[in-house]
Amino acid sequence: MAKQTSRYWLMFPAKLITRPIIYELGHKFPIVTNIRQASVNSEVGIVSLELEGEREDIKAAVAWLEELGVKVEPVEINTIES
Amino acid sequence: MRTRAGMAAAARFSFFRSRWDTHKPNSTQPMSNQTQSFFTSLRCRECGREYPKNAIHICEFDFGPLEATYDYDAIRRHISRELISSRPKTMWRYREFLPIEGEPTVGLQVGFTPLVKANRLASRLGIKDLYIKNDAVNYPTLSFKDRVVAVALTRARELGFQTVACASTGNLANSVAANAASAGLRSYVLIPADLEQNKVLNSLVYGTNVIGIHGPYDQVNRLCSEIAGKYGWGFVNVNLRPYYAEGSKTMGFEIVEQLDWQIPRHTVVCMASGSLLTKIHKAYTEVIKTGLVQNPTSFHIHGAQPAGCNPITTAMKRGTDLIKPISQPQTIVKSLAIGTPADGYYAVHSMQQTNGHAEDCSDEEVIEGIRLLAETEGIFAETAGGVTVACAKKLIQNGIIPPNESLVLCITGHGLKTAEAILSHCGQPRLVRPSLREFERLLGDELIQQPTPVAA
Repeated sequence: MAKQTSRYWLMFPAKLITRPIIYELGHKFPIVTNIRQASVNSEVGIVSLELEGEREDIKAAVAWLEELGVKVEPVEINTIES
Repeated sequence: MRTRAGMAAAARFSFFRSRWDTHKPNSTQPMSNQTQSFFTSLRCRECGREYPKNAIHICEFDFGPLEATYDYDAIRRHISRELISSRPKTMWRYREFLPIEGEPTVGLQVGFTPLVKANRLASRLGIKDLYIKNDAVNYPTLSFKDRVVAVALTRARELGFQTVACASTGNLANSVAANAASAGLRSYVLIPADLEQNKVLNSLVYGTNVIGIHGPYDQVNRLCSEIAGKYGWGFVNVNLRPYYAEGSKTMGFEIVEQLDWQIPRHTVVCMASGSLLTKIHKAYTEVIKTGLVQNPTSFHIHGAQPAGCNPITTAMKRGTDLIKPISQPQTIVKSLAIGTPADGYYAVHSMQQTNGHAEDCSDEEVIEGIRLLAETEGIFAETAGGVTVACAKKLIQNGIIPPNESLVLCITGHGLKTAEAILSHCGQPRLVRPSLREFERLLGDELIQQPTPVAA
């Protein structure tokens, strides 16, 4: 299967800010992680992240992030408008 | 945040700007014998990198949103109030400020909606100089979305798209479907599968292809992004977003022109993504920059949200641009229920730059706002309009909007679109049999209180 690149904004709640989640992501799934912007304070962490890999691996990685409590949005943030 | 966060704002990346020239497009190009295009490029709102005028919306470097830029010096030399007033009364009379390169081809009748002097509502709110910018009667689908869609589809044609699309739960879907139909463009509307039937009907009737997608909102959102990236469709609110968003400016231009080229001291705008507020701010700035408004006085733009989904007003009240997502919005104002507003960061900055304020209101206050506007001015607004009225009322009561200063309320859509929200709040008709005696008994003193006109 062909590799693809997907781009997301990740929003980490306060309880997950100290955990090295992107490091874990790169070891748990066969995908390349590439941080393009990041901002962290005591309340929230926000990271723009590019993921490169097989489509199914990216989907599994996103599902894992969501299971942990990370909000995963496409770079457009909201594609669905009123 | 830039939802993305008090993020790294432009200054952090300023050093890149001077190094970026490989993609800088040519500046102004001839438009036609009648008009010129002053649209110069797309530019990242984060780092300032410039991009060619293609169907792209995100900076490849930092994922910042792209925005249309113009040659304002050239516009200033070219434009005049007289030139604008000589044109048909549509949003296209401000075409120099829109990101197209030829003549408009879609939505030629859109815009120039009434600016209503609202004396009766003003009296109820305790203010002297109040106006309603009434996009509830915008053509053809009764919401301000017709403005953004007209620009997006005109640009889609210029870029050679045969198929246009959007992901929407309401007004945007209706507008894309209607405007695409009138332009002869093939269209697809993606919706959550559980959307109410009456909202689907308002798109289906135009012959668009409606695709319902099962699953949680977040997954549907990501799928739409994937589809937009994969196929050669002009997705109005994704790959055409820099063009689409600029259409909102025309609401601001019209307000200024209809006030005889004055910027109102106060403007109240409801916020979903926050884009409309930022574009009205941009419009006010552009009329000053190009000399259409001379000796401007200061103006204030205030943002309004429902309390059940208020990520932007919360950030503004806390004095931060860090916008915390609302994971489960709970409000009857579905059109403003965006928990992660894409332009929230920029909306906060527009309010801060104009010394504006943010306010929110309960669902009960929304209903009260809809009824107040309807009963005093005969304007039936959608729930978002109720938010605007209710929040303006609070801003006046709190002394933020003084009673002797001019105020414009932006009403973005017609009440019939959200009639279910107010259905149980308007009472029931009084019933009577076809008998004059019964009629008089029913109305009783009401008839005595209404003297017959002399001329009758």
